[in-house]
Amino acid sequence: MALKPLERIRAKISNWKPIKDMLRWGRAWSLWWVHYETGCCCPEIMSLVASRFDHERFGAIPFPTLRECDVIIIEGVVTKKMAKRLKMIYDQMPDPKYVIALGDCAITGGFWWDSYSVVQGVDKVVPVDVYIPGCPPRPEQILHGLRLLQKKIMEEG
Amino acid sequence: MNVDKVVEEVKARLADVLLEAKVERKNYAHIKVKPEGLVRAAQLLKECGYSHPASVTGVDYPDRGEIEVIYHVESIEDKAIVALRTAVSRDNPSLPTLRDVWMGVHYHERETWEMLGVKFEGHPELKRFLLQEDWEEGVYPLRKEFKLKPES
Amino acid sequence: MPVRVAWGIQHPMSGHLTLYLDVDGDVVLNTEPDVGYTHRGLEKIAEYRTYLQYVPIIERACDFDSSNFALGYVRAVEALMGVEAPERAKYLRVIAAELSRIMSHLYAQALLSMTGGFETMTVWSANDRELILDLLEMLTGARVTHTYIVPGGVRWDLPKGFKERAFEVLNYLERRIWDYYKMLFQNRTFQDRTMGVGVLSKKEAVELGVTGPSLRASGVDFDVRRDDPYEAYDKLDFDVIVEKDGDSYTRALVRFYEIAQSIRIIKQALKDIPEGPIRVKVPPTLPKGEVYTRVETGRGELGIYLVGAGTNKPYRLKISAPSFRNLAGLVYLCRDVPMGDIPVIYYSFDILLLDVDR
Repeated sequence: MALKPLERIRAKISNWKPIKDMLRWGRAWSLWWVHYETGCCCPEIMSLVASRFDHERFGAIPFPTLRECDVIIIEGVVTKKMAKRLKMIYDQMPDPKYVIALGDCAITGGFWWDSYSVVQGVDKVVPVDVYIPGCPPRPEQILHGLRLLQKKIMEEG
Repeated sequence: MNVDKVVEEVKARLADVLLEAKVERKNYAHIKVKPEGLVRAAQLLKECGYSHPASVTGVDYPDRGEIEVIYHVESIEDKAIVALRTAVSRDNPSLPTLRDVWMGVHYHERETWEMLGVKFEGHPELKRFLLQEDWEEGVYPLRKEFKLKPES
Repeated sequence: MPVRVAWGIQHPMSGHLTLYLDVDGDVVLNTEPDVGYTHRGLEKIAEYRTYLQYVPIIERACDFDSSNFALGYVRAVEALMGVEAPERAKYLRVIAAELSRIMSHLYAQALLSMTGGFETMTVWSANDRELILDLLEMLTGARVTHTYIVPGGVRWDLPKGFKERAFEVLNYLERRIWDYYKMLFQNRTFQDRTMGVGVLSKKEAVELGVTGPSLRASGVDFDVRRDDPYEAYDKLDFDVIVEKDGDSYTRALVRFYEIAQSIRIIKQALKDIPEGPIRVKVPPTLPKGEVYTRVETGRGELGIYLVGAGTNKPYRLKISAPSFRNLAGLVYLCRDVPMGDIPVIYYSFDILLLDVDR
């Protein structure tokens, strides 16, 4: 019974701009991502995790439990056998969630444009927020992509 | 046993099913047999020391109406390779499995069945392996009539 | 009552495969692998690309060791055409291939130590791998997928300053790997985790078709570089590492010693490299005929079977990948073991799913 006024206060506070900005800042600088390596882009992710191109200074770490991740980085080619599982994994992540498509194969199918078992572009399966082209992209490009995602989160309505 | 002696053994003991046997180059021989003699040829090769299976390949020759299946086996002591080959007709390709001779050909034969349709009699696990689960039955991607089409 | 557990598609180990485990309590009774999640149809695509267009594609069959895979395919094409690369190109190919092998072994070590809980080793190996990637970028222009070895020779010559920089890096690495030995292989926890786990006997290893460091760790003295030599390996001096125990610790140890041998090979190649051209002309079409060649990659022996039909596209290309052959060994060993041993056995075989599915 006492909940209804509390709910109204909560809704008013969370719509207040400084609180919204703080929540968005917190989300952008602690992106926990699902390590979804299906293709050749995984060596560059390994370089990203190590200390030369350290991405942990941006707050991002790879995390094995899906229910606690915000971002899924799709590195590499997605086959038709995998597409169903990708949708299941995407659905298991809690809101708000984001998708980064890494590499030419994830964006449009890349080298495998006429293959019988490759999905031509992962945006046919899940909605994508940031596209990082390259075959494979250098770790600096992937960091730039992460920064673009952070900017997108900070500017969300 | 080196490849020259293997070819002699094969010519002596498999004369009724042998189609061709020769040494192609240093440490590489190829032996072609009829499908009925495949298991006997494999057992003979294993006795000669060729017990390390390397690959199983199927090649589709629609103009000859046959599918050729090639087993490459290696010998560790002699550092040599023997290619054991046979051909079956395209309409109903069927061969006895060589799993009992060489344990390692299990997954190779399963893939050859899936890609070309060659049925290996006695293989316990001929089912979907690399292709997606809802792939159409009876369509084999490595056959020449299956054409690749870009999808967009 | 055995229960079927799916060691799911998304798991903390690397690569996409599902292992269906029949489990009774904590003991795995047997395993059924479900692969094919990264199957791209490389063998069918080969029939639709010219033989030169296929070189970057075969590198993506296994991108941790891309130069060795390209070398296997290019050797098959050259054998079919009857073309031989010039001497200087052979030495350059050996340098690229051995750098690629060090890269692959460091990555395998990084993943194995991550399983054992040694994240420090993961970061150390990944950082030292960066030095090798920089050398490869100086030589070939790309970090991971090089497209350096082509039919007829190699694409570019040694750049200025490469020899000095390479000797600096290799001298440093030669001293550094003994830090790894003290940190990882002499560590009591790592030894308890991996010694005696997943023992493969000599006879089983040969009959299952297992190749590479996993075969040599079980006491089988076989290495394609020494026993069926190709490129400049017959003129270079190196040891083949053979150990007898056949467990996961030994497989990791064989890979570790091979890094030291690769450093030795590269240093010799840089000293002895002759002058001369680096590329010869090749005909535009593949002649009719067939050929089978093999090379030793970081994971094992790669066999390429190529059939030409007189056009510029192959008629049939078969890739007998090392991880596909080692998969039989993995499934054979994952029976009657506790469930916690499965990641250790999996990583000790160094199976890459891109190889298995092609």
